[in-house]
Amino acid sequence: MAMRVIWGMAHWLGQAVRAAYPLLLLALLWEVAASMGWVRPVFLPPLTAVIGQLVALMKSGELIGPLAVSLYRTVVGLALAISVGVVVGFLMARIQAVRWLLDPLIAFSLPSPKVAFLPVFILWFGIDHLSKIALVAFTCVFPFIIAAYAGATTVPTHQLWAARAMGTSSRGLLLRVIFPASLPSLMSGVRVGVPYALVSTFTAEMIAGGGGLGGELVLAQRYFETPSVFVYLLVMLAAGYVIDMGVLRLRARVLRWHEE
Amino acid sequence: MNVIGAILDHGSRLLPFALLLAAWQGVAGSGLADPAFLPSVGAIGHALIDLGATQSFYADLAVTFGRSLGGLALGAVIGIPIGTVMAVSRQAEGFFGPLVKATYSLPKTALVPLLILWLGIGTATNVVAVMLATLLPFVVYTYHGIQGVPRILVWSARAMGVAEHRMLWKVLLPGAQHAMLTGLRIALGFSFVIAIAAEMIAAQTGVGKLMFIYGESGSYNYMFAAVAAIMLLAYVADRITVAVSNRLLRWDDIENRLG
Repeated sequence: MAMRVIWGMAHWLGQAVRAAYPLLLLALLWEVAASMGWVRPVFLPPLTAVIGQLVALMKSGELIGPLAVSLYRTVVGLALAISVGVVVGFLMARIQAVRWLLDPLIAFSLPSPKVAFLPVFILWFGIDHLSKIALVAFTCVFPFIIAAYAGATTVPTHQLWAARAMGTSSRGLLLRVIFPASLPSLMSGVRVGVPYALVSTFTAEMIAGGGGLGGELVLAQRYFETPSVFVYLLVMLAAGYVIDMGVLRLRARVLRWHEE
Repeated sequence: MNVIGAILDHGSRLLPFALLLAAWQGVAGSGLADPAFLPSVGAIGHALIDLGATQSFYADLAVTFGRSLGGLALGAVIGIPIGTVMAVSRQAEGFFGPLVKATYSLPKTALVPLLILWLGIGTATNVVAVMLATLLPFVVYTYHGIQGVPRILVWSARAMGVAEHRMLWKVLLPGAQHAMLTGLRIALGFSFVIAIAAEMIAAQTGVGKLMFIYGESGSYNYMFAAVAAIMLLAYVADRITVAVSNRLLRWDDIENRLG
């Protein structure tokens, strides 16, 4: 019995190593190159030094605080983008005049680099939370409008007729038919929007300061604290990865009824 | 008849922009907002015309777009072969796959401070940042494009005597063209964002820097004009990409054209 467990674990470990060997190789190369002195530590500190710094920053609270600030900005911006995006997308799907008014504006704004609006948002909302939240919301609102519109327009007409015939009110139609039918599309929108939101938050923090992981990253670079630069980068990477995993699980839960 | 229809159609697409500008002017002119925060449409238009007559503005635009397109070209040159190799070789897929997955969620602008440490402030940092950001769309879309080529096409080509070493050029890459062009369109969008963001983080030249100079010196109408100019150029670049893509894809099914 114990043998089988050990064998199972060894097998699992072998699989994991085979799946991740390029990353392990990269880590090894990094460590060797840095500790053999092939590159100056200011440019590339050894991986072990970065991990040491990670632990140190975690203990001193210089990691959790900025992470919380960045996540707060990301989440609030996303929430704004989702609520505005869903309402606008549904209105565009249901009302011809709204579609006529907004479709050209959205088509024009979609390919534009939203970060160009950061100076405007700083002017309007200052350099603290609000300008960053505004950039996140502005960047992410477009994917949500499109997801909500696409979701709402894919509801089969006979389902709308059926609901109407059974006496569903307009509000009920929206909440109980159109919204659930749009959920697959909306969840895809969330998956696209979350990385955009994180990138926008970090970028705005790097440009305008005001704390958060992006702000700390730029400060670490200015003081040539290269191990900290790598720590903040790795934490951003991990945050993006963990949140994406979370979105996938949420999607699987919300869409249990939906066949892929 | 057709011409009138086209004009009406365009007019009805343009009218919402006019309404937006009118609403902007209404708020700006009503005195509800401080004119410094919300310059009138006229003031911004004036600034835009002024910028259009300024040599150094074109120089800044050329610097920014040169950086973004240079980085984009490098991203394509490196990313397309990686995506191709991943699609045709299991070993390559096993090697690059985990690296792509691990770096996919990394915000690429966050590499700018690190690149500044390595390469200093300037064009090199900017171009490398754009290259790294555009690499992944090229890799991923090329890979999925080639993977998505129906096996039956490969078998047919083989049956018709296409040599194995020419399969890539004759069947796989043409079949992946639609996906690769979609990747190009996405990468183009990334390239502008990264180039401008990198200039805003640290740079001596470029429109990203210029906007902040206008913002800090209080020339807000020029700042808004620069934002408008960037939006316009990004839109034009996107439309050109779509038009060229659809020209390249004219042999393909209509539903495979880009929007």
